[in-house]
Amino acid sequence: MTRHVPDESLPDLAEGGGSEADRAHAGACGPCASRLAEVRAALDLARRADVPEPSPLYWDAMRRSVGRRIGEEPRRRPGWAWLAPLAAAAALVAVVVLTSGRAHAPWATPVPGLPAWSALPDAEDDPSLAVLEGFAAGDDDLAALDEGDGVGPFLASLSDEDYRALAESLRGAGKGGES
Amino acid sequence: MSSPALALPLRLAAAAASPGGETLSRDEEREAIEACRGLEREAFDRLVLRYQRDVYRLCYRFVNNHEDANDLAQEVFLRAWRAIPRFRGESSFSTWLYRIAVNACLNFRALRRPATQELPDGLPDPVPGAEARLASADEARRVRAAIAQLPEKQRATLILKVYHELTHEEVAEILGSAVGTVKANLFHALGNLRRRVAEEGR
Repeated sequence: MTRHVPDESLPDLAEGGGSEADRAHAGACGPCASRLAEVRAALDLARRADVPEPSPLYWDAMRRSVGRRIGEEPRRRPGWAWLAPLAAAAALVAVVVLTSGRAHAPWATPVPGLPAWSALPDAEDDPSLAVLEGFAAGDDDLAALDEGDGVGPFLASLSDEDYRALAESLRGAGKGGES
Repeated sequence: MSSPALALPLRLAAAAASPGGETLSRDEEREAIEACRGLEREAFDRLVLRYQRDVYRLCYRFVNNHEDANDLAQEVFLRAWRAIPRFRGESSFSTWLYRIAVNACLNFRALRRPATQELPDGLPDPVPGAEARLASADEARRVRAAIAQLPEKQRATLILKVYHELTHEEVAEILGSAVGTVKANLFHALGNLRRRVAEEGR
């Protein structure tokens, strides 16, 4: 005779599964048949205990309650939202580099009247400052994207001197990228 | 060919036609999950509609009363809403949701109170057959109470296997156990259930 049916195989056998060998053994072995009958009875017992059905109105109320609680959750960004400030910063750098680098690009028309020794134009003539100001003060979409803690508010907090310093460093980065 | 990760267990699909468990095709479910990643609440509402009955019933098995089952089921969906951007589809959505539910139930029981005793459903009525129905209801109550007092892993295994008809592998994934452990827990759960019900009936 084969080995007795292991305990953990009995529930499978009781539900009509299990291995052929275990089934054959349980059919021929009195003790295993008895253990199998006990497990089957326990399964029957468990299945007799159904959960009381709530009122049909309950499901709708529950769903509404879940929806309301989700609505009360702190507002969350979608999974891709972290890209928005990054994209805005990249766009800013690209605009400034392209704008200021045009004077140095071999295909660009030289800016007339700019002395060769000058690293920066006057503030009034510097197009990159206008770009920075545009981002900082006027771009509602950008502000909405970064929800008050990204590039827009940062730029808005800069003094004129800091603006110029930032523009200078961005231009420097642009020149470095060109060489 | 559809993704096996989003396949619905057959018995869940069968239960889905009843109130509180509406049907969603696999494609609809996949679309709803994707929309939830973009924080579309209406899409999540469709998932709640689809799974609320399964989740409620699972919670009820753990806590053995409507009030706590209701609180827990809602908490499960809130946790699912918060976590759904991180759902990668490596398991089926139902398995993922069940894992949240089982964890919530086990934490709830650890934090709150021991299994509660159910109150009787009502006074005996004189309708013919009422006595048999009461006896049956009484037995069901005793079985539910006995299940609620099983050791955690045995209880979870019994509930997921017997009432939600998950496979050993699905239960193992939900509970973070080996398949062999799930089989052993089921055997011990059934033995303990019989013993406890018999003791209650004396």
